[in-house]
Amino acid sequence: MESITTFSPIALSILWSRLISIVDEAGTTLQRTSFSTVTRESNDFAVVLMDRKGRSIAQSSVSVPSFLGVLPMLTKALLEDYFPLETWKEGDVVMTNDPWLCAGHKPDIGIVSPVFYKKDLIGFIGTIAHSPDMGGVLWGAGSRDLYEEGLMVPPTKLISEGRPNDTLFAILEANVRAADQTIGDIKAQIAANDQGIKSLMKLMDENKLTDLQDLADAVIHASEKAMREALLIAPDGSYSYSYDTDGDGKGNGCHFEITISIKGDEIHADYTGTSGAHPLSINAVLNYTYAYTAYPIKCTFSPDVPNNDGSFYPIKVTAPKGCLVNAQKPVPLGARNITGNMLHSVVFGALAKAVPNQVQADCGSACWCIVLNGTHKGKEFVEYFFLNGGYGARPNMDGEHVLSFPTNVANVPVEVLESDIAVLVTEKSLVPNSGGEGQYRGGLGQRFSFKNVGEHPLNISLLTEKTKTSAKGILEGKDGKTGSLEIVPHRDFPPKGLDKLYPGEELILTLPGGGGYGNPEKRDKRLIEEDRVLGYIT
Amino acid sequence: MKLGIDIGGTFTDFVLFDTNSDQLFFAKTLTTYPEPTVGIFNGIRELEDKFGFTINKVNDIVHGTTLVTNAVIERKGAKTAFITTKGFEDVLEIGREMRYDIYDIFLTMPKPLVPRNLRMGISERVDTHGHVLTQLQKEELQTVVEELKRNHIESVGICLLNSFANTSHEQELGNFLAKNAPDIYFSLSSEIMPEIREYERSSATAMNAYVQPITDTYLKDFETQLHSSGFTGNINIMISSGKLTTIDGARKSPIHLLESGPAGGAMAGVFYGSLLEEKNLLCFDMGGTTAKACIIYEGKPEITNHFEAARVQRFKKGSGLPVRIPVIDLIEIGAGGGSIARVNTIGLLTVGPDSASSTPGPASYDLGGEFPTVTDADLVLGYLNADYFLGGEMKLSIDKAKEAIQKHLAGPLQISVEDAAMGIHKIVNENMANAARVHILEKGMDPRHFNMIGFGGAGPVHAFGVAKLLHVNRLIIPVGAGVTSALGFLVSPVASEKIQSHIAQLNHLDWNAVNDFLGDMEKEGYEFLEQSGISDNKASVQRIVDMRYSGQGHEITIQLPQGKLDKNCLPEIEKRFIKEYEFRYNRSIEGIPLEMVTWRVIVQGPTPQMQVKQFSKTGNTTDSYKGTRKVFFEETGYLDCPVYDRYALKPNEKFDGPAIIEETESTTVIGVNSTIQVDTHKNIIIDLQY
Repeated sequence: MESITTFSPIALSILWSRLISIVDEAGTTLQRTSFSTVTRESNDFAVVLMDRKGRSIAQSSVSVPSFLGVLPMLTKALLEDYFPLETWKEGDVVMTNDPWLCAGHKPDIGIVSPVFYKKDLIGFIGTIAHSPDMGGVLWGAGSRDLYEEGLMVPPTKLISEGRPNDTLFAILEANVRAADQTIGDIKAQIAANDQGIKSLMKLMDENKLTDLQDLADAVIHASEKAMREALLIAPDGSYSYSYDTDGDGKGNGCHFEITISIKGDEIHADYTGTSGAHPLSINAVLNYTYAYTAYPIKCTFSPDVPNNDGSFYPIKVTAPKGCLVNAQKPVPLGARNITGNMLHSVVFGALAKAVPNQVQADCGSACWCIVLNGTHKGKEFVEYFFLNGGYGARPNMDGEHVLSFPTNVANVPVEVLESDIAVLVTEKSLVPNSGGEGQYRGGLGQRFSFKNVGEHPLNISLLTEKTKTSAKGILEGKDGKTGSLEIVPHRDFPPKGLDKLYPGEELILTLPGGGGYGNPEKRDKRLIEEDRVLGYIT
Repeated sequence: MKLGIDIGGTFTDFVLFDTNSDQLFFAKTLTTYPEPTVGIFNGIRELEDKFGFTINKVNDIVHGTTLVTNAVIERKGAKTAFITTKGFEDVLEIGREMRYDIYDIFLTMPKPLVPRNLRMGISERVDTHGHVLTQLQKEELQTVVEELKRNHIESVGICLLNSFANTSHEQELGNFLAKNAPDIYFSLSSEIMPEIREYERSSATAMNAYVQPITDTYLKDFETQLHSSGFTGNINIMISSGKLTTIDGARKSPIHLLESGPAGGAMAGVFYGSLLEEKNLLCFDMGGTTAKACIIYEGKPEITNHFEAARVQRFKKGSGLPVRIPVIDLIEIGAGGGSIARVNTIGLLTVGPDSASSTPGPASYDLGGEFPTVTDADLVLGYLNADYFLGGEMKLSIDKAKEAIQKHLAGPLQISVEDAAMGIHKIVNENMANAARVHILEKGMDPRHFNMIGFGGAGPVHAFGVAKLLHVNRLIIPVGAGVTSALGFLVSPVASEKIQSHIAQLNHLDWNAVNDFLGDMEKEGYEFLEQSGISDNKASVQRIVDMRYSGQGHEITIQLPQGKLDKNCLPEIEKRFIKEYEFRYNRSIEGIPLEMVTWRVIVQGPTPQMQVKQFSKTGNTTDSYKGTRKVFFEETGYLDCPVYDRYALKPNEKFDGPAIIEETESTTVIGVNSTIQVDTHKNIIIDLQY
């Protein structure tokens, strides 16, 4: 067996798990000290530890996959184009929300801090979190161009050698809604980075390390090797799949084409044939497309080995410039997650032809997002909440009901939502018959309804998906049931975009179920009977 | 006399404290299924025979059991229904919609304890402020009762939306059930866990309902049998927070028994800490499949309100059913004697979390176990005695251990069997030290400020290695290390904890309302203690509140000042919050108002004192030195290591490490650079030099 640089298998095993617990600890700090429901209830954030070259070494365990993929790209870009290695000082903190450098839309704020050990720069720690607001129109699919999406902060030192950049803080504060939430969350990100640095110092001391580089090389090499070995086993070939999504939900849909080529120990996903930039702000930049393409590939081939830069080296992703998944300035990007959240469907669809026992059927994603803005008890708020559809069926089991995929965001509890703002939730339930039939059934979607019970109209930004299309079954499995939205009293309401929810109005959201796996005729009769007893099917 | 009885999965442990002679006696019997009371009386008879006492001389019995935990894990609870606000019947199944492992597409989420066909919605609604929007519909209640009877339901969990703000609908429902279906048990969320967040509250309520009938039957049985055997004293039950409740209290809220055993272990740590004048201790307990650690700070165990039962993947956060009850803050990791070692897909040696458990067990048990385990490594390294495992009751095969290590680890890694064994031992120690370190750091404390106490079957084998990794100065291997939980039961105070949810900003608090409900909670607490014969003047009151910066979602716990509260207390409360916040997160935030969320009043009886003069196993006058055997230490390789008999150790005996000390339930392994001293109670005190 090939040895891994200078660390024994025993020492490496020990240090690697320490690194992961360090970033997890930092993640806990972020969640516990943040203000927005996005971060504190839904966990829409990630923490990554990187080496001096910006390569990821360890990442927080239960985080949003896209952020994990993007953070090292951001840090590498900072080093290359903005702050070369020698310009970083101890106590610096760099911030940016540039979508092309960071996570594909402005609300995602990247905060990167250098890690110094005994005066030497040994690496970086970064967090990305979805900030509650960045100014411009309310976050969602409703912006017409990039500039309506609020403030863009190019990579800037938010803190220089411990001194806060008061001007930048003042600019942020002056531009965003509910500023204390946005500023509070940024400070929570800094606190998380600091926590990570502190713990890393202890690791260095206790293990008498002077540098992270050898350790970084070792873990990156190990993860890369695992990915390559798994790819090597997969049959070589070229696998294509095409897929349609709602787009605006009113006739202007999106079309995805993918060709995945596996050759030896490398894999290449190409999106040629995918539709062009969409007028709604659902366009994805290539960084983001890469992260959400690499993620299902990692799930398929190397789910057990901790993720880091090495997992990505055998994965190449290309897309024609200017298309939906390689957006160029100044197309709007706000709700690019709707597009990113679909890429696993395309990837799994193609990979089902190569490794059918390692993939799942399509999920009832993207996760639906609801943003409400108004004043409550005299104070302006921006309240986010997320809803997930059914999970796709697997080769050996049904899909779970209502579970987040590919992103990983929790719901905001009904009682927390009602205590934060003047809405009343009228239903949260599973939708029977919504899971796609198959040898294994897709998970059920959910219905979530709520009413404005305040005195004022609420600004609402809504992001739905699969109200016109559905979660695809694979290998003869049937599609999941399409979602829908309805407003009472009835009127037109945009499936994606901005509107107001007036006092007394009730919005009824029905989320799609997951796709089925395998031929429904092969389903075990006992499972069908159980579904009937439990009311999953009627 | 006081008797502690702890029912574990395999053994039932007994600790008897004779208050006249200040002597402690221990016993251990096999747990009996399906009626654990049989095992209890076996043990009591053993104690009676061995030490010549009779059960009618016992004044207090304190009891703990794994019954509740096992019922949840094995899904052997009652046929349970769940009633909630119409439209929200699936909240219990939907959960928080988040995955606990992001790369495993084959993950499964925990199944709800109440299946969908037994969850019923009723028309009613209360808003976040507690105002009733829709009244309960009386005629619906009758239909619900009929439905319950038709389905032969034994127990019902009731959790209505926003019931933390107004309990009246739940109360009404409970009253209706008590009157119209008196044979059906019911649990109200407003009594079990009156806190915001409907899924977590539903989960705790459903679980309470699920385990209530079996716990009730068992405890009634336990009580009756004790009384008919001549016992006339007082019975208390150990709960997860390290406190005691009454039999009635336990029957009403059985979920509080979930962690009674581990809580007993922690309280034993408190006891030894005070005995040995160690205020800050890390308790380390390692058994066959898991290791647990908790910290005792300033003589008190740390308490948390976040707990998960019955995880689908035992060591993955988020894969279990959440229960927000006060629990001693223990970390549990998959590292025990049976933990399996293997080379993973990328050529690294890993240990656990899966375990060979007792069948087939480690390779050295020679019962068909194929894979090398921690026990096998410990045997190869000479830490365990092949002929004296469990006091010689079980022979271990060193050849089988070597064979498994060679085949699965040493061969593939191209290293020696000894190096591989040392690797296993080190990795498992690292895993435990790592988890303990994170646990201590999360609380903003420094691991080096703690001394350590080690118990459990495998604890004394690994405690020295873990202590060294944590830079602990002193390690204690106490007497009675095999029955620590039952010992802990005897030193835990009777207490009542009342919870009230009242969300308001600190500077807008209605102090009169606050004083009123705190007063009521205190009064209820005193009344509860009276049932255990504890008078008001012996009780102490602790009032705590969970607070946060307004807008945050996670609270930290602050002690409230004594006496009547008013706006003059503001600066003090603020000061305490900021101190705690800075302690945890190294910063505080200016300009954001503070918010109070959950209020708790703990009324607690005195902590029982045990001035132990003597532990039961004494009188052996033979030499403690048994000879030497080959033992492998990382620093030295194999050497001839002195072996001692724990039972023959004399008070104040002193010697240097390395050393092996054998006793029936475990073996204490002590490495180089250390000195060992036996104290007057025969605890082993090890000082480590660095």
